[in-house]
Amino acid sequence: MDVTPIFEAKNIVKTFPGVRALKGVSLSLLPGSVHALLGENGAGKSTLIKVITGVHRQTSGQLLLNGEEVSFGSTHDAVAKGIGVVHQERNLIPRFSVAENIHLEQLANSWLRPVNYTALNQSARRWLEELNLDIDPAMPVSDLSVAQMQLVEIAKALSLQSRVLLLDEPTASLTSSEAANLFTILRRLRDNGASLVFVSHKLEEVVEICDRVTVLRDGDNATESRPMAGLGRQDLVQMMIGRAESGGTWRKRDSAAQPVVLQLKDLATSVGHKDISMNVRKGEIVGLYGLVGAGRSELAKAIMGRFRVTSGTVEVAGQTARITSVADAIHKYRLGYVSEDRKTEGLILPHSVLANAGVPIWRKLSGFLGGLRDSTVRRAVSPYLEKLEVKTPSLAQTVGNLSGGNQQKISVAKWLAAGVQLLIVDEPSVGIDIKTKAYLHDLLRELADSGTSVIVISSDMPEIIALADRIVVMNDYRIQGEVANIGTYDTMSQAIMGLIHRDPHRAQVA
Amino acid sequence: MTSHDVSHGSNGPISTPAPSSGAPSSGAPAQLSPLRRFLLTNEFGLILLIVLFAVLFAVTTRGFTTPFSLFTLGRSAAVNIMIGLSMMAVIVTGGLSLAVGAIGVCAAMFLGYLIQSLGMPWPLAILAAIAMGAALGFINGFAVVRTGLHSFIITLATMSIFFGVMVFLTRAEAFRGLPPVFADFGKMKFATYFSPLLLVTLAAALGLGWLYRYSVLGREMLAAGARPEAAELSGIRVGRMIIYCHMLSGALAALAALMLVARNGAAIPSMAGQLGQDWLLPAFLGPVLGGTLLNGGRAAVLGTCLGAFLVTMLSSGLLLMRVGEFWVQSFLGLLLLLAVLMDKLRRSYLARRNLV
Amino acid sequence: MTPFSRILRTDWFGPLIIVILAVVVIRAFSPQFLSPLNIQVLLLAIAVNALIAYAQMMIIAIGQMNLSVGAIGGLAAISFAGMMEVWGIPAPLAAALALLIGLLCGFVNGVMIAVTGISAFVITLATLAIYKGINLGITEAQPFYGIPANVKAFGNGSLFNLIPLIALPTLVAAVGLWFLLFRLPAGRFILAVGGNEHAAQLSGIKVGRTITLAHAISGFLAAGAGILVVARVQVGQPSIGDDWLILSFAAPVIGGAILTGGHVSVAATTLGVVIVALITQALVLFNIDPFLVQVVMGGLILVAVGINRLRETRMQALKRSV
Repeated sequence: MDVTPIFEAKNIVKTFPGVRALKGVSLSLLPGSVHALLGENGAGKSTLIKVITGVHRQTSGQLLLNGEEVSFGSTHDAVAKGIGVVHQERNLIPRFSVAENIHLEQLANSWLRPVNYTALNQSARRWLEELNLDIDPAMPVSDLSVAQMQLVEIAKALSLQSRVLLLDEPTASLTSSEAANLFTILRRLRDNGASLVFVSHKLEEVVEICDRVTVLRDGDNATESRPMAGLGRQDLVQMMIGRAESGGTWRKRDSAAQPVVLQLKDLATSVGHKDISMNVRKGEIVGLYGLVGAGRSELAKAIMGRFRVTSGTVEVAGQTARITSVADAIHKYRLGYVSEDRKTEGLILPHSVLANAGVPIWRKLSGFLGGLRDSTVRRAVSPYLEKLEVKTPSLAQTVGNLSGGNQQKISVAKWLAAGVQLLIVDEPSVGIDIKTKAYLHDLLRELADSGTSVIVISSDMPEIIALADRIVVMNDYRIQGEVANIGTYDTMSQAIMGLIHRDPHRAQVA
Repeated sequence: MTSHDVSHGSNGPISTPAPSSGAPSSGAPAQLSPLRRFLLTNEFGLILLIVLFAVLFAVTTRGFTTPFSLFTLGRSAAVNIMIGLSMMAVIVTGGLSLAVGAIGVCAAMFLGYLIQSLGMPWPLAILAAIAMGAALGFINGFAVVRTGLHSFIITLATMSIFFGVMVFLTRAEAFRGLPPVFADFGKMKFATYFSPLLLVTLAAALGLGWLYRYSVLGREMLAAGARPEAAELSGIRVGRMIIYCHMLSGALAALAALMLVARNGAAIPSMAGQLGQDWLLPAFLGPVLGGTLLNGGRAAVLGTCLGAFLVTMLSSGLLLMRVGEFWVQSFLGLLLLLAVLMDKLRRSYLARRNLV
Repeated sequence: MTPFSRILRTDWFGPLIIVILAVVVIRAFSPQFLSPLNIQVLLLAIAVNALIAYAQMMIIAIGQMNLSVGAIGGLAAISFAGMMEVWGIPAPLAAALALLIGLLCGFVNGVMIAVTGISAFVITLATLAIYKGINLGITEAQPFYGIPANVKAFGNGSLFNLIPLIALPTLVAAVGLWFLLFRLPAGRFILAVGGNEHAAQLSGIKVGRTITLAHAISGFLAAGAGILVVARVQVGQPSIGDDWLILSFAAPVIGGAILTGGHVSVAATTLGVVIVALITQALVLFNIDPFLVQVVMGGLILVAVGINRLRETRMQALKRSV
């Protein structure tokens, strides 16, 4: 192929004080193509995106747009030069109309010329039609669905004559039918000559939509802009982690004879769950699989007493449990929950390692008048922090300054210290490297072997197949069914997908 | 409503700078020696400033070092520190309370009413007044938790309500017939220089220090203030903690007002200005100078005490230097600006140091 | 959406119903309520208070708060009176200079917030003390009494014996602000920054300048309110502005303003001012203790923020169920 690239990054080096995040990374984008940008957390993917979109300036190396060198002083600079970005979080002004949001950029330089809303609506309609988006341009974006908002952002980028459109985890908060619709649109844009960059950790999607791929590993190119043809999911994983995925660690565990620790019967919750029935036995690992928005984390929080149970029963160790607060769940029923969102729900980032690891047992350890000394807490939690090999200069270190992997270890360690009988782990490997991930998996198995029940919530199918004894599949706040895990990816993934799509009339949401 | 934390994306690589929210105030970098670390604290900076200005005033003004001047300085400082601690107790939750002044005055007037109109014995009346402060704080906390609104708007409304009801009930008249214990306590001196009011403040400060460092309740308050959702999912009843913080603040505000009653020998509705607004500046100066983060999760008891003391000393020193009394307010405003700017610089310096 | 349900969703509809109800009820109990004199008194109060409310509304629009509205108003008021009495500057020029002082005070607030990134609460608390201190330092807490006759005439004058002249600048300000916020890019930037600062920045809006602009306008409006108060009470009191804080928040909040920013309404804020004025009047007419005005105003704020909150959650729930 001798098509000239529309955008190139050549030998990009980016150093932060003390760290070389990018060690000379290259990437070249062709018109009329969907280019996958892949990499583990910490591989430099986010840094590269930030350089391309003008958040950071590279330490050395070149950015070329149509063969000419460009430099971006700000995010807006990059946008103005034709690098459109659709971020993971929505960047729209909620109370403004669709048309005004699309054209905000064009207004940005005139402070005092009155806005002509009729002209704005007309011009916006053109871009909306381009995307087959049938909405009134005068409507406030706060009235749109998340998927529609995302398309409005794409329309906004198109209206700026973007030559490159970068989509960062675009399907993260979409339902599967919304994602399918997005892909149709992306393919059409590609056929019209657009150059798209697709960043996603869902490799199935990457294989489906992308035609070229760049993989980063440890701040270097593992692969630079090669055609996707002939590559499968396993090949991508191998490039990302530098070796084959360790799939063989699954082993058969039998807990059928063990007593039931948690039993949900016809549960309905205030957040919209219906007819939820499932159980977890002592020492069992139950996988809870579903796509984003299926209601899994919400179910976990309902079990923990964060959301109200409106009907049905929860039984813990054979006794009907009335859990009205998280404090009840932890102290009365010995349940624990590791959140997927470590930064706001899992850890108290500005506080020390010691404080974070000890929170659930403070009350238990307290003495006269509720007094509590650091040394008491240290004695109780440090065995677990050591066991999990948490790397920190001291227990007084602020948790926010530690790496994602170490943060995750702390959020698990605190529940080990609390001695829970059931631990719910939500997306255990978000934001941590492969090595820590493998370590965490071993740890969860070990935990289950020693009698703790575990529920693993994940939308990463290989992860759940590697870990679980039994897999419960959720969709749209209901349980779709469950399958016993036999540990082989192909059979299991088909069984799981079969369960997800079991009820076809539910799957069609425009 | 809170300060805008600029956070870059959620999935930064592990190697990039830590998010700005992780202020390295407690976990100082390992390579700094304890001494250097102490020298970089707010508390040290404040002590330095206090010494500096004390020397300056002692040399340049007449009368700064007289027993009477030091006595009144200590007495005012005792009250200002208490007001600062009262605000700090709410700032811990990441909120604030505009109503500290109104609560204080209400509690003081309640004391006057109990003693003068109902003839209640004074020790009992003091307890009742403090309970009144806590009760008004409870109303604030309850409203904040129940509505989920920012405490700014809630306490803006309640300060108007509390003060309005108080003025309505008292007809804006002072209680001047209090037993002489109050005035005597206010005038009492020990070791010729010190007011016993300082002891009250010292006791409160030590109590708070113990609370936040060595008790479960205080730790849970801090955790609830730093990351409410994470605290809740770790089994802390966040709503209850926020209410407790407001009650504590109310009780401390009442205590500050009672100290003013002792100084004035009477409970006066205007002792904290219109709606109690006169307390706002000292209430924020102490904690902010002392390094309490306005976004919650950290309590700097010693810093607040030092900050409030510095402010009191500066005001009285400036008055002695014959800077017109009306300009002192402007000066305190400037001081607040300088303090937050310095704090900002210090934090960014520490953050940078933490990386290298 | 039908036109009627669209009206139901607007911010001014609810307050308007309350205003009409209040007028009907008060009129039923007190026949002299709608006398020309009484209407004039009402309009006088509304004219000044509306400017105070607008001054805060501009800052609420960017999702911040301004504690120094009263201090700026007070400083502008005594500057206006002082320049006329002490230097004999003609009233229009003195008014222009006082407005400029207000603009400058607001500008300083805005620059400090935009440059340092420190919360508006702390900055404006500090400048509140600074501006108020300057006010007291200049006046030594003594009022200026030498207000020229033409200013007094303006303060007492009215059109058709009904509409006070003082209401005219407020009317101009209201129309001007509406045009700014809903037709001019500058005003849209203010609302955009309040709605989603990050998104506004990504769209090329200069956030720092926008914040500064909003604060400058706020200072300007506060100064205008201070000048009108001087014209009305005919004395340059140093205490002008001391009791504006609660009112400045009450009216915009009653008018449905969202405190996190990005959403304000000029009409609804004005109606909020009218509601406060009506209730104050009613208390006077029914011989209820004026001290209770404070209580009522506090209560109104609580009720209003509660209702706004409910509306917000209802709308979200509605959206989810669609």
